[in-house]
Amino acid sequence: MFQIISAIVFRRLLLAIPTLLLLSLVVFVVLRMLPVDPLAMLLPASATAADAAALRQQLGFDKPLPQQFLIWLWQALNGNLGISINFRQSVLPLMVSALPATLELTLVGLLLALLISVPGGVLAFVLYQRQRETAADIAVALMQSIPAFLWSLLLILAFGVLWPVLPFSGRVGEGVVLPGITGFALVDLLLVGQFDAWLSALSHLVLPALALALGFAPLVIRVLRSSLIDAASEPYVEVAKLRGLSETRVLWRHMLKNASLPTITMIGVQFGFLFGGALLVEMIFGFPGVGNLMVQAVKGNDLPLIQGIALIFCVLMLTITIVVDVLYAVLNPRLRNL
Amino acid sequence: MTDAFQPFPGPLEADLQRDLRDPARRRLFLGGVAAGVGTLLPWEMAGAQVADKSTLSIAYPVDVPTWDPNALSIPTIQNLYQSVFDSPLRYSPQLKLQARQVKEWQWADTKATRLEITLREDILFHDGTRMTMEDVKFSLADRAKADKKLLVGGMLNTVSDIEVLSPTKGAIVFNRPTPAAPIYLAFLAAYVVPKAYMLKVGPEGFNAKPIGAGPYRLVEHQRGSRIVLEAFDKYWGGAPAIKQVIFQIVPEASARVALVESGRVGMATQLPMREAQRLAQKTGIMTKMYPFSEVYMLRIPSYVKPLENDHVRAAMHLAIDKAALSKAFYGGVAKPLSVMTPEGTPSYVGDFKYPYDKARAIAELKAAGYGPGNPVSLTFLSTNGLFPNDYDMARAIAQMWKAVGIHATIEETTPAKLVEAAQNGKLTGPLLYSWANSTGDPENYAGRIFDPRLRFSTWKDMALSPRIDALMTEVNEEKRMAGYKALNVESSQKSWAIPLLQAVASVVYSSTLQPTLFDNGYILPAEFKYR
Repeated sequence: MFQIISAIVFRRLLLAIPTLLLLSLVVFVVLRMLPVDPLAMLLPASATAADAAALRQQLGFDKPLPQQFLIWLWQALNGNLGISINFRQSVLPLMVSALPATLELTLVGLLLALLISVPGGVLAFVLYQRQRETAADIAVALMQSIPAFLWSLLLILAFGVLWPVLPFSGRVGEGVVLPGITGFALVDLLLVGQFDAWLSALSHLVLPALALALGFAPLVIRVLRSSLIDAASEPYVEVAKLRGLSETRVLWRHMLKNASLPTITMIGVQFGFLFGGALLVEMIFGFPGVGNLMVQAVKGNDLPLIQGIALIFCVLMLTITIVVDVLYAVLNPRLRNL
Repeated sequence: MTDAFQPFPGPLEADLQRDLRDPARRRLFLGGVAAGVGTLLPWEMAGAQVADKSTLSIAYPVDVPTWDPNALSIPTIQNLYQSVFDSPLRYSPQLKLQARQVKEWQWADTKATRLEITLREDILFHDGTRMTMEDVKFSLADRAKADKKLLVGGMLNTVSDIEVLSPTKGAIVFNRPTPAAPIYLAFLAAYVVPKAYMLKVGPEGFNAKPIGAGPYRLVEHQRGSRIVLEAFDKYWGGAPAIKQVIFQIVPEASARVALVESGRVGMATQLPMREAQRLAQKTGIMTKMYPFSEVYMLRIPSYVKPLENDHVRAAMHLAIDKAALSKAFYGGVAKPLSVMTPEGTPSYVGDFKYPYDKARAIAELKAAGYGPGNPVSLTFLSTNGLFPNDYDMARAIAQMWKAVGIHATIEETTPAKLVEAAQNGKLTGPLLYSWANSTGDPENYAGRIFDPRLRFSTWKDMALSPRIDALMTEVNEEKRMAGYKALNVESSQKSWAIPLLQAVASVVYSSTLQPTLFDNGYILPAEFKYR
């Protein structure tokens, strides 16, 4: 199994190199094609045309586009993604400090979404063609129609204002200093044994992660339900029933495993949207992640930072693709030789 | 130094009007629901914040991008820069220029080209080192020359050098008469940083661990989330009464409302007016909505047709009912303006009123060749959320214009796009804008707004350059003010830009807090105390 997984990862990594290069080029060209002048926010009002020209030269914006891309690429390969216009500091450390927060938020959001959607999907399947199916459909449609930012506001109202039991601003409570080992608050605080601070970080994650999860879970419920409906008509299900296995056992041990494949694909594809949803959620909850950074970058026409974030996003999506492929191989023996 | 500033009328208590016509957007979703359920929640329910009187949490909408205070000129972060770095001079709550780190300042010549300043002897940076004139020269002159990207050079663009006469005495030398120079020592980007430390750690190192000489020192900055300040006990003005201040960065207005409503913070700023008014009804919460020195206006790009037509601009101006805008969006607190400066500032022209007259607007359009069958069509640029109710106000103005035959298509934009478009002469239409000026001096209103050479100017009438130059170098204060008053009136009459309203600040806080609020909108925790 390990050899198979290694081979899949190696193959995917090889493919990732040209993909990443191409994506970098697309991002670079698209950003340069935008009617945006990065110098506009960089120079004081009194700056002369000569000042602007000098700075343009200093930053390399006067060079032909291909040359600019090659310079940027070379610097990127050396870990230099440029200087943020808005923050006046290197892009890479800015992103390194913000990315773990977003990853932690989206991963916890995904975990909560699975905790809601797997039983939810099974329940929706169980209710299939029964009296309560319509009620379940309405509930799922309602959940799906509420976007993450609206969930955020509803949750803040419910658990922050009306019944103020959970914090809804920041990543940790006052007085808690993050150790900064991995950047993941839940991991770092456990590593240093600060359990009160760990609980603080967890409580700060609940509402934003739940807001993401509630927007994401209905999609999984729908796919899982339809996959289970498809699986129900497969011969192996009938065989299992004829062997005397209980319906519950057939459902949880056999059908769910097979139905999970399309669900995993969907989760892999949709994870990017979950990441995108984190942008607004982070802003609403004052959560110091990439989303917050992105909003400020876009507001300030901060091209180097936008470029860096786009690149990180690409890397993240490629990583997710690899993870999904590996999961596929683990769950489906037929795919191990592809 | 003397000045002729008159204070603004004092902060007004929230006028509880319920007839606002705010359009529905996502922040109002919360507002609407909260209005229903929020009344059930007693302030004391989660009042841990107000129990501890050594700490104050403030829900604040913007983060500090960089702790290099000479680098940027973003008005909304000046509260934090002032807290950490202090400033050479500062405007009082009533907009009087006052001594701070610089205790004396006077012109050494009659041409206003050499300003002698004396620094206090007891200013310590947070690392315990003493502030000297070398630090002043480094921050305000040397850094600007070495790095053109630093905004301090733009704010003090006529400085040729700073001569160090002693550790506490110096002379700022200007390359042309700059009579308004002292105001820039109390304005954006003119903060003094420790030279030795900055040279030792570099701008990035400084950004990571800034050292100032303000009443608070920075102890923690979680980007996009929280800024923690701690009182500096060796501050020359004495340690502030509130020992720890936490700025919680919450860009979303509805989340700020929720934070202050649930008692998790002691103060929230820049709340939607409707929410601030609702919160004013709650026991234990104080609401202040007060006009300050910022101006809401329409900027007119002179190069966009048909805005070069005097009649069209006059029609645009005459068609706007400014009092109705104030009532609808700012509870009547925002004062309608006829000139490009608020009441109480030295170049205000109280006896000049630009009328609201729809019939005249229609007549002006007719004179320009437009009518019901041939309406004016234009793009109307507006930000959304940059200042309270900006986009809503743009929509209302578009409706007012439609009533006289001006069809405006609103295009949402961002400050960065605006700066760039203005700089490149590519604005596509009039622009709803909020002009910040914490000094109240006309040089930073009309002087900058109508200077056609500035990158962000929109009214590009080069004939105004000598007139502005003359005003900027006029050393006789009476003549300077008279000149700006004339410019204010003429610019309004000819609608080179259209003044709308004096901006309104909204602050909601625990009734146990006693904040001193400033007429330039500053929120300075060092001036707060608990009852």
